[in-house]
Amino acid sequence: MAYKPSMRTKSDSLEMELDIRPVMNLMVVLIPLLIVSAEWVKLSVLEINIPPSKNAGSGGDDNSQENKEKEKLLGLTIAITHDGITIANASTILSSDNEAEDGPGGPTVPKNPDGSYDYDVLITKLIDIKKKIVGKGFKDEDRAVITASADIEYQVIITVMDKIQMYEENNNILPLFPQINFGNVL
Amino acid sequence: MAFTPSKAKKNLEKEEGSLNMNAMMDMMTIILLFLLKSFSTEGALITPSENLRLPNSTSEEKAKKELMVSISQKEILVNDQPLMPINEQTVPKGQMLIPALAAKLAEYADQERELEIEVGKEFTHMVVIQGDYKISFEMMMKVMFTCAKSEFYKIRLLTIRVG
Repeated sequence: MAYKPSMRTKSDSLEMELDIRPVMNLMVVLIPLLIVSAEWVKLSVLEINIPPSKNAGSGGDDNSQENKEKEKLLGLTIAITHDGITIANASTILSSDNEAEDGPGGPTVPKNPDGSYDYDVLITKLIDIKKKIVGKGFKDEDRAVITASADIEYQVIITVMDKIQMYEENNNILPLFPQINFGNVL
Repeated sequence: MAFTPSKAKKNLEKEEGSLNMNAMMDMMTIILLFLLKSFSTEGALITPSENLRLPNSTSEEKAKKELMVSISQKEILVNDQPLMPINEQTVPKGQMLIPALAAKLAEYADQERELEIEVGKEFTHMVVIQGDYKISFEMMMKVMFTCAKSEFYKIRLLTIRVG
């Protein structure tokens, strides 16, 4: 005896429309709420920790030469002037690559011809220095002192601080000179 | 005599259309996700103005709400309250300390210290400096020096994150 054919084939397919009105209501409320509390401009901060005592000042500028040798201080200074950026430490001033052209006494990294600072060269030189000194026991191997002429724009200072924080090598991010102090106005 | 209602209109079948909401729902979902991503609970930290445009940096550290010292091109504000205009009298040329700012900060420091004693709110010694990107290094140094002198020696420079 054959089975009776199933009745299911004849039943109407149940068609139901999803009621999305509550979802829409929710969206209408949520979207303005989120627009109000959205952060459109992302802010960040650069950290400078000045020693609380007033004499500790900038990275050992006022230490005597003997002290420096005892403690092995690097005393790296980055000076920003209107001609360019000079890298120096307590005893020497790094001269420019093409000193013959620029003449002695010029900045280490002269400005580009269009008047902007040449940050790339600055970074290359700082990385060179960092590689030479790292692991040699300098107490302030992470520290740099930034100093500038009185009327250098704040944005330039921030850019320099920003660039000398760290560098990338073989996909490793290594600290360059993240501890920043400020020296006197030139 | 009243007009007889039009036969054609009387027999007009009501058209039932249903709005297709699919596309709209898609859009809403994407907007919702985007807004959730940029959601911040911090609230507005800065009040933008023509004379106070923050410099750009790539630093990743998040800004926190602390004592704010703003240096616009024309004046200095503490916690968004105008304190003093910048001119020869208020910012003396020969000295690093800015007297009016130092006085105000000392007031805040006292207040913070009192709070630390009475309700145990930690005095963080932190100050956030917002400087216009055009102000001079000298001005910046003076403000930082004044802050450090007035016990706010943990300085954060507020910048706009790019990249």
